[in-house]
Amino acid sequence: MGKEEVSAKKRRKINTSSSSDVTKQNPTDVYKRVVEFEETEAQLRPADRDASLFKKLCQDIRQLFADIAELKNKDNEEAKEKINAKRVEASLLLVALKKLNRLEKVRTRAGRDALHKEKQRVDSTHLLLQNLLYEADHLNKEVTKCLQFKSKDEEIELVPVEDFYINAPADVSRADITKKDEHQLQLARLEWELRQRRELAAACNELVASKDRVAAAIAAARSRLDALAPHLKDVLKATKPLQECLALRLDEKRDETRTASLLPPPLFLLYSNAYAYSDVLGSNVVTVSISGDEDDARRLEQLHNIDNDLVASNDSDSDADNNDEEQNKKKRHHRTSKLSKQEKAEAKKKEVLRKHPLNVLLSVKVPDGTALTLIFSYLLHLKIIVVKFTVAQPKPVTGVSAADVLNGHCILNELYPGDTGNDSPHPATAFVLNSVGISETFQYFISEVGRPYIWAQRMCGLDFMSLVVGEQNINKVIEPSRSLSITTVENFILTLKKRLKSRVELMRELQDLESGKITPAKGDMTCPVRLSGSLTQWQSVGWPEYSQSPSTNFLISEGLVTPNDLLYRAIITRQSAKLVAMVALRSDYPKVAPIFSLTLHWNGTHHSGINDDIRDIERIINTDWVSGGDNIHGCLSNQISKLLTCLDILLETSGSSEFPPDKVMLNPVRGRNRVKPYKYLKQGAGVFVQY
Amino acid sequence: MLDKILYNTVLCQTFSPCGKYLIAGNIYGQIAVFDLGRILDPVVELLTADYNKPKHIHTFQSEKQICSLASTDKFLIVGSVNEITGWDWKSVVSSKLSKPAWSIKISSKCQIDQTDVNSLWLSEDEEKLYAGCGDNNLYVYNLEDGRLVSTYDGHEDFIHSVHGKNGQLVTAGEDGMVLLWDQRTSKYHNKLEPYKNDKLNRSDVGKWVGSACLGDDWIVCGGGPRLALYHLRSLDAVTVFDLNDHGIHVTFFHDDCIFAAGAAKFLYQLNYSGEVKVELPVSATTVYSAVLRTVPNKVLSIAGSSPEMDLCTTFNYRDQVLHFR
Repeated sequence: MGKEEVSAKKRRKINTSSSSDVTKQNPTDVYKRVVEFEETEAQLRPADRDASLFKKLCQDIRQLFADIAELKNKDNEEAKEKINAKRVEASLLLVALKKLNRLEKVRTRAGRDALHKEKQRVDSTHLLLQNLLYEADHLNKEVTKCLQFKSKDEEIELVPVEDFYINAPADVSRADITKKDEHQLQLARLEWELRQRRELAAACNELVASKDRVAAAIAAARSRLDALAPHLKDVLKATKPLQECLALRLDEKRDETRTASLLPPPLFLLYSNAYAYSDVLGSNVVTVSISGDEDDARRLEQLHNIDNDLVASNDSDSDADNNDEEQNKKKRHHRTSKLSKQEKAEAKKKEVLRKHPLNVLLSVKVPDGTALTLIFSYLLHLKIIVVKFTVAQPKPVTGVSAADVLNGHCILNELYPGDTGNDSPHPATAFVLNSVGISETFQYFISEVGRPYIWAQRMCGLDFMSLVVGEQNINKVIEPSRSLSITTVENFILTLKKRLKSRVELMRELQDLESGKITPAKGDMTCPVRLSGSLTQWQSVGWPEYSQSPSTNFLISEGLVTPNDLLYRAIITRQSAKLVAMVALRSDYPKVAPIFSLTLHWNGTHHSGINDDIRDIERIINTDWVSGGDNIHGCLSNQISKLLTCLDILLETSGSSEFPPDKVMLNPVRGRNRVKPYKYLKQGAGVFVQY
Repeated sequence: MLDKILYNTVLCQTFSPCGKYLIAGNIYGQIAVFDLGRILDPVVELLTADYNKPKHIHTFQSEKQICSLASTDKFLIVGSVNEITGWDWKSVVSSKLSKPAWSIKISSKCQIDQTDVNSLWLSEDEEKLYAGCGDNNLYVYNLEDGRLVSTYDGHEDFIHSVHGKNGQLVTAGEDGMVLLWDQRTSKYHNKLEPYKNDKLNRSDVGKWVGSACLGDDWIVCGGGPRLALYHLRSLDAVTVFDLNDHGIHVTFFHDDCIFAAGAAKFLYQLNYSGEVKVELPVSATTVYSAVLRTVPNKVLSIAGSSPEMDLCTTFNYRDQVLHFR
């Protein structure tokens, strides 16, 4: 404790002593100066010597302490004095230690400051370096950017260098400079380009201007022409009264020929030939006219013309036609395929089955006033002719089945052998339908569009047969043949007239039959005897009913009767016996005799499949008919009266009391096959024999 | 106008003695020659679509039907109307028919009354030809010289069939009678009238007898009345066959079996007690002819009112269909 106090006193002393020489200055400065002094002292004194001094001092202190301890052990006065002396010495040494310590502290701080300063310097230098690197990088980039720069002039197409030297004037080309300097060359070429383009643009403007001038001139001329038309019309109108006075049909004819020019080629052929034919024959037998929407046709024609223009104009006439067709075809394919993507199936069908807007009407009359009007239409895409027809009768027909004969499609059926008009005669039709994705065959549309009879195609000069035979290439375009049309038109009109005539006669015959009357043709001697049976019903029947009858199996399986024939059911009764005859008339009746198929209801049901007698009668009716040229009419009635006779014979030879023999017969039955005497022999009063 | 051949009716058939040909005659006066060798053993390579059609069709007088046929070693005998003609086999099987080797005229009373030769039967020794005719008579001709040996009369209507065996003859007629004759005398010694038997009578079909045939101890006959088996000595109807038919036209014995056919869907093979052994379906509406032979091979040919003829080699089912058209 006492030591501490001493040291504190000493410090104060030192402090006072040290401060005594600076007290003259103000007190704050004293510290500063002390600090400054110490700092400079610390700097001046070398640190390692201080360190060794420090060590030596510490050694001394230890030594002193050890001495003191030794002295304390002695514990005498002398010792105590010594101890005090030693204490003082030690305290002085401690002061020195303190001083050294402070110096050390100052030195350390100075070192730290120096380090810190150095560090800062390094940092700033580093930052500077970074900046410089970045700048360098940026400049590099700029340089590459500049190197990569593309000038607009590279995109401009320039004339080749050789041409440039040949064509460009010397003041532009400056060969002496440009040959050496690539850049100058480029500049020169650009300049030349610019000059040239300017010139061309000027030329273009001039041409456009001249074109406009010409167009204006044309427009003016056209407007003059247009203005002319009303004048001409007026003139025409003015001639009308004169025409009427002179009974000239110039106007109508002109109209028709104008419309005719819009017809598609096949129909035009038909029209021209039929027209010529009717001119010769007189219009009371054959008349020809054109119907349909003229405007539509004109529009269609214009479309055609556009197509035509696309075709090279120096082609010959027929070639142009050809190409036109092909063009049309391509276009059609294109159009249809586009449609198939966009529109519904219905629209597709409609497009494929599209008709030319104009139709040719051909009407044929027979003397009694019945007229048949055929409407010929041209399917634009399928390239075939289809026919519809109407019948006009002078007076109404009584009787259902009789009316059918003239009204049903059957009147045109098989006008020529095998020509039912049930399928398109054009071999390409199926492909065309397929290509637009229509799965139905052409038959499906017949009721809608009309029937494509082969004679109709031939009348229009279309011959698909030659196509099939001649070449395998189905896509070949068929050109209407004029000679074919001419020959067919005449032939057809004659055939149709004949058919119509025979149909009118058949209608009368059926009318009679339906009312139960049988009127054999004049001069017919096959049935001079009284007939006991009577025709009680005559009715037309459908194919299902016909084919269901067991008696007709044989005829159908032999292919003798087809659904195309006219089918009737006749019922003949005599007392309790009822004979049902299914009658099939071929379309070309009376060229081919009707075919009878019989079923007898009497004592059970009998037909030719199970009963020989019925078979015998069928044989007589169907085969023994004499196909003479003169009694060709009324053959159906003849057959029916013959049938009545046969029925009488059959019933009267049966031995039944219901049917007493009434006719003279040589033998009621004859031969192993027990044939009845169906044949009439004109001998004496008339006698029936077997053969 | 249909082709009349569609309504063809074959009335008679016969085999040639060499066995190679089948001859059929129809109502249009035509004779068809079928080459059985080609039909039964066809050479596949040479097979044509018309192999089942006649090799030749000869036309006689077209107005007269061929009613009956018979064959001897030398001749084909054709019974038509008013005459019987004999033809050399060589000329029959050649493509063109020449003139007949011989002919026998059957005189008819007046011009329009014609005599059909409905049935021909040759005696076993092939010396005599028996012809059952449409004028109710059975004529016997000597084949050697064509002389009329005798005339058997007794029927009141035309004769449908003639058959003989063991010196006896049986004839069936439209009058409903079956007459039994001794071959040596021209008078019948017995007669059957099936329509008078209530069990046999079918009034809706008629009383006519279409066919009668002699066996060793039996007679089989049928027609309008039902098919029946009579005992030869007692002349009793032993068995009545109940068949679904509208008239019998063909009957014969073969191998303890009775063959019968007519206006029915089948040709029946029956045993004596009345059981149906085989029902052979036929094409014809009415069968007018069925011929059978066992040498050199088994063939049964059935024809009638149809252009189709059925050919059987086993007698049990229809093998082939021939077309007479």
